[in-house]
Amino acid sequence: MSYKKLRKRFTPEELVDGFVFPVKLTAKQKKEAAEQLAEARKKSRATMTDETKFSLRTHGIRSRITDALQEDTFNPEHTFGYFLKMYIELLEKKRKEFAAEISIEDTLLSQLINGHRFPPDYVAVRLELHSDNIIPATHWLKLVEKQRLHEVENDEEFRKREMPFVNHGEEPKKKTSKLVYRKPGKLKQERTSTHK
Amino acid sequence: MYIIEVCSGVRKEAIIKTVEPSDFALLTKKQYSFNWKSLKKSTTIYKLTIEGEKDILGVMALIDYPEEKRIEIKLLASSLENQGRKKKYERIAGCMIAFACDLAGKKYHEEACVSLVPKTTLLNHYKQKYYMAWNGRQLFLEYASLNKLLNEYFP
Repeated sequence: MSYKKLRKRFTPEELVDGFVFPVKLTAKQKKEAAEQLAEARKKSRATMTDETKFSLRTHGIRSRITDALQEDTFNPEHTFGYFLKMYIELLEKKRKEFAAEISIEDTLLSQLINGHRFPPDYVAVRLELHSDNIIPATHWLKLVEKQRLHEVENDEEFRKREMPFVNHGEEPKKKTSKLVYRKPGKLKQERTSTHK
Repeated sequence: MYIIEVCSGVRKEAIIKTVEPSDFALLTKKQYSFNWKSLKKSTTIYKLTIEGEKDILGVMALIDYPEEKRIEIKLLASSLENQGRKKKYERIAGCMIAFACDLAGKKYHEEACVSLVPKTTLLNHYKQKYYMAWNGRQLFLEYASLNKLLNEYFP
C-alpha cells in the first residue's frame, strides 16, 4: 500500500509505530547523506562517556551469548570461559584487576577462563552485577548447562564406567558412586565401592 | 525482548529471525504493505514472531554497510492486524528497530550505528519515539541513543 493511502488511514504517531517507508535517494544524495552522517558521528564520538562505552560493549556480549544459547548444537568454542575472556578483554581489564573487582582469586579466574573448572553460582551472580545487570546470571549458567549436557550426552566412556552400578533387580550390587565434575570436558568419577 | 498484547496487557516473548524462502509466499502486499520479494537480493529481511507461534507480526529489511559500521533500516512494516489504533500487539516496530541496534552492536561494538531515511512528515515522530538524531538527510542511532533504545528493549 502506498504511503499516501496509509497516511489517510493513520496518524503520524501510528505510522511511526508500524512502518519505515521506502525513500529513494539519487546517487548524489546518498553520497551527501553518508558524508553528513560520518561528520555527525565524528562529533558525537568525542562526547561518548565511558559508561555508554561499557554498556554498548556489554550488550554486544550479551547478544553473542544469546546467539550461542540459541544454536541447535553445542559449539565447543562457545563456552563459559570463552565469553568470560571476551568480557574481560572488551572491558580492557587485566585479569588480576577483574578478579579483584568480583572478589575471586586470580587462580579461580584462570581456571574458569581456561575451562578447568565450572563456575560456582555466586560467580555468575557477581558477573551479572558487574555488568550492571545487562548480562543476567542465567545467561552464564545456561552456557555451563549447555556444555554439561553436551558432555554427558556424548561421553560413552562415562556410560561404560557406570554400567556396573545399574541392574534391573536381578542381583543387587553393593556399590556406590559419586560423580564429581573435576574438569569440564573430562567427566571424572570418584568411586567408593565395596565389592564382596 | 517482548511485545504486549493490547487487550490483555500480557507480555509475549518476541523472536526475530531472517525470513526463510517459504515465508515469501506469506509476505503479501495486502498483509505486509510492501512488495518484500523485490528486496530479497539487495537486503536481509527479518521477521518477528511470538515464541512458539508461526504468524509473522512484523517484517524489516536491513542493509549492512561494514565500512561505515552502520546498518540501515530500508523498510519495516507491522502486519495488517497490528497497524493503527486497533492493533493487536504493541512494540512490534520498536522491537525490530532495537533488534537492528543489537545486530549492529554485536558487529561493531561501541562504534555501531543504525540509520533510516524518513518521510519528512514523520521525522519528528521517529525522533521522539526512538530517540533518533537527525543529520539533514538521515535519522540515526548511535552511542548514547542506541544504548538507550537497547536498554529499553533488552531490559
